[in-house]
Amino acid sequence: MIEVRGLSKHYGATRAVDDVTFSVKPGMVTGFLGPNGAGKSTTMRLIVGLDRPSAGSALVNGKRYAEHRAPLREVGVLLDAKAVHTGRSAVNHLRALAATHGIGRGRVDEVIALTGLESVASRRVGGFSLGMGQRLGIAAALLGDPATLILDEPVNGLDPEGVIWVRHLARRLAAEGRTVFLSSHLMSEMAQTADHIIVLGRGRVIADAPVADILALSSGTAVRVRTPEATRLSELLVDQGTVVRKGDDGLLDVTGLTAPQIGEVAARSGVILHELTPVAGSLEDAYLALTQDDVEYHAGGLPTGPASTVPAPNELSSNERVSR
Amino acid sequence: MTATLTQPQSTRALSALSFGGILKSELIKLLSLRSTVWCFGLVFVMTLGLAGLVANASGGSGPVPAEGVQAIWVQSATIGIVFAQLVVAVLGTLTITGEYGTGMIRSTLTAVPRRTPALTAKALVIGASTFAVSLVALLGSGLLSAMVLQGQGIEVDFADASVWWALLGGAGYLGLLAMLSLSIGAIVRNSAGGISAVLGLILVLPIVLSIFAALAQADWVRNLSAFLPDSNGAGGRMFSYTVAGLPVPPDMILLEPWQGLVVLVIWVIALFALAGVMIKRRDV
Repeated sequence: MIEVRGLSKHYGATRAVDDVTFSVKPGMVTGFLGPNGAGKSTTMRLIVGLDRPSAGSALVNGKRYAEHRAPLREVGVLLDAKAVHTGRSAVNHLRALAATHGIGRGRVDEVIALTGLESVASRRVGGFSLGMGQRLGIAAALLGDPATLILDEPVNGLDPEGVIWVRHLARRLAAEGRTVFLSSHLMSEMAQTADHIIVLGRGRVIADAPVADILALSSGTAVRVRTPEATRLSELLVDQGTVVRKGDDGLLDVTGLTAPQIGEVAARSGVILHELTPVAGSLEDAYLALTQDDVEYHAGGLPTGPASTVPAPNELSSNERVSR
Repeated sequence: MTATLTQPQSTRALSALSFGGILKSELIKLLSLRSTVWCFGLVFVMTLGLAGLVANASGGSGPVPAEGVQAIWVQSATIGIVFAQLVVAVLGTLTITGEYGTGMIRSTLTAVPRRTPALTAKALVIGASTFAVSLVALLGSGLLSAMVLQGQGIEVDFADASVWWALLGGAGYLGLLAMLSLSIGAIVRNSAGGISAVLGLILVLPIVLSIFAALAQADWVRNLSAFLPDSNGAGGRMFSYTVAGLPVPPDMILLEPWQGLVVLVIWVIALFALAGVMIKRRDV
């Protein structure tokens, strides 16, 4: 259980975290989402006391992090894969952290096995890939078998297999009744992992709701239709009171009818369909809609007006990817 | 009982954060880096090697007056400290700036969120290990230089307690210097900056003061350098061997070995306290 109340962190005139209030509950995965620079990492550092808040408080399991008798047993933290001395081996890094809390060598070997680091445990961390560093960070977070886990961008740098592993780990830890709080700037990642999502933009909470509710915030439910008779179908659909956007190659984006309803309309009129894909509830769309006014750094030259929901090339929604 | 909280396959008791644990953690950290092994190895090579060389050179330069034998012995045994101190200063600084440079400090201060115990444990561990290594190296240097001198027909007096006190003082100087360097490293938080600051304090500042003293013809400036922590100031007095009856120039302050210790301890406490306040206040 993490309780953040009125938390703020100012760097001069910049409000990195601005009067943030939220709770992270046990037994579920809570996603912490926001563009780069939104204040996610700062908030997490404030929770474990690495940064001092300008105002407000953060309690973990009822107390300030530093006030716990055994902090590593209360909270496991992955703040930064680069929080390791590059000249030390993975096993010695973990032994050193474990020693502070009198955690034995047995548990060190357990977390090494759990994160699949056996083969590299005695190698110096300086030679680790980003993915191995990430696994070592997660191993360190699990050392104290903590009731609360705070993981900042845990899938950063992981290969697809590693991403799935983190996803399963997070779900399993939550299923064991632990509080799991993980951040990402990728909505698609959250869609697969989180039960509840807190969206941060420019240091403020702009959404705090179950995943389903965030999905519903998505601006309309669209269906992608591909047909050789695009003009005819779009006329038919507009008659039904829908909004149709025409693209190239007979591509239509239809809003206002479900995919089965569109299929029925087409069948009644004998229109051939090549594709009928609901792109409904893309979390990316919801996310972009939520954060478009709160992005700290816009790519130069891109339109920043409110109508712009153009996804960045690397952030295409999972649905779009499937349809190709 | 709390046993139900642990995972079934695990038999470990629910232990908590303790200062003993933090000390052990810092010892693991110190001994698991190659730089530590290299630095301590260099301390050995420098003290023993220079002790042998200087003892050899002293013996070969003609007859030695009886009252000077002990002084020559101590000088040969401790001459390596002047070089070993550079290695110790670098090691002491790196103990903490290496953590800031790599980000390790965030892991350290997450495990020990009250921070001061982590800094204290670091200081104690680096101080005690440097002291222990230096003591072994200096005792070895003492025996080696005695053997070399005796090989040349110069008999040293092993029963002279002042010699052993000087060797102990030399190890104490290096141990305290490591703690002083750690404190400066914790204040500066950057390896290059920290090492520059420590070497500036023990190498450059004494020279600057002596130039200033010579130019200004001021005794008080010269006396000021007696209170600097370096091996020509208070630190050096800890491993000095004073020949009885030697005249001390008037208006010159010459600290006793124990006074040198006190001055150095004050330096360490002052810088450590500043480091403690800063590590507690700053964001990591």
